Amino acid sequence: MARRAQIIPPRPDLRRKAVNHSKGFDLKLSPAMVQKLEQVVHKARDTFTADIADRLVAMRKALREAGEGPEQERQALALIYSNSLDIKGAGGTIGYDLLTAIGKSLNDFAAGLTRLDRRRSDVIDLHIDALYVVLANRITGRGGPTEAAVLKAFSAVRTKFKDS
Amino acid sequence: MPEKIDFSKVSFLIVDQNKLSTQLIRDILAMLEVTRVRSVTSVERARNVLRGEPVDIIITEYYMDPEDGIDLIDWVRTASDSPDRMTPIIMLTANSEEEYVMRARDRGVTEFLAKPFNVEGLYRRLVAVIARPRAFVNAEGYFGPDRRRRQVEYDGPDRRHID
Repeated sequence: MARRAQIIPPRPDLRRKAVNHSKGFDLKLSPAMVQKLEQVVHKARDTFTADIADRLVAMRKALREAGEGPEQERQALALIYSNSLDIKGAGGTIGYDLLTAIGKSLNDFAAGLTRLDRRRSDVIDLHIDALYVVLANRITGRGGPTEAAVLKAFSAVRTKFKDS
Repeated sequence: MPEKIDFSKVSFLIVDQNKLSTQLIRDILAMLEVTRVRSVTSVERARNVLRGEPVDIIITEYYMDPEDGIDLIDWVRTASDSPDRMTPIIMLTANSEEEYVMRARDRGVTEFLAKPFNVEGLYRRLVAVIARPRAFVNAEGYFGPDRRRRQVEYDGPDRRHID
């Protein structure tokens, strides 16, 4: 017979330790405090964009070396997966939503990919090119109709070449 | 008087292989006057830290190598040498698709926040785990926070009552 679920009441320790009526931060942040915290993120923007640029260089290099053998190919795919995931996670945090969208597109393409052929390498290369363009032109937000069209095109090539 | 949170009383462990992401979270926590933050880049190191000194809240990435954030949740929630199986765990990750959210939830994550994130989203998760702790469920195949979120008052007949 299946064991019955036991419900353990919420543990009050942390609440008792940190919640009070006199010192600290309101449960709902004031607009001024939100702004202060957003400034912390804003200050990190240059460091993040420099890091993303480094990741693009590393992905391009790995992609170039992937043809040297199975081990290089495996390493390139792993690096492209993890770097694109980091770009997807970082872009929107610092106001570059388009970096996140392209990073996600690349990450979706790289996920589960075990082999690279010329076409797949081209798809990855195109994503890296697009990420460079966003960084170089400092395109914050989601961009306009052109960027939307690029994302739509990426979606089509992902479908076409991922499992071909 | 409204409730406040004194974050200086709360200790954190950040587990993430991305150093910039870790630094950003540290900076945000510092602005909230958090003073006790440890950060590590692997699940193995997280286990070592927690064995030595339990923390109040864990913030972890999902994607890590060789072990990932799910391995950390599993250890905290189920291992016999886990120092505190009820430690609140916030998963902050770019692995934000539904399959990852469901997997984390079913292994006992307390809160899930997708990267890219904004400060208000992170703050809401912190408030949730500190000020509104959830009941835990100990069942066959699951130990973790109660996954039913909404508590709806009901004063009708108890049709599930079988005793």
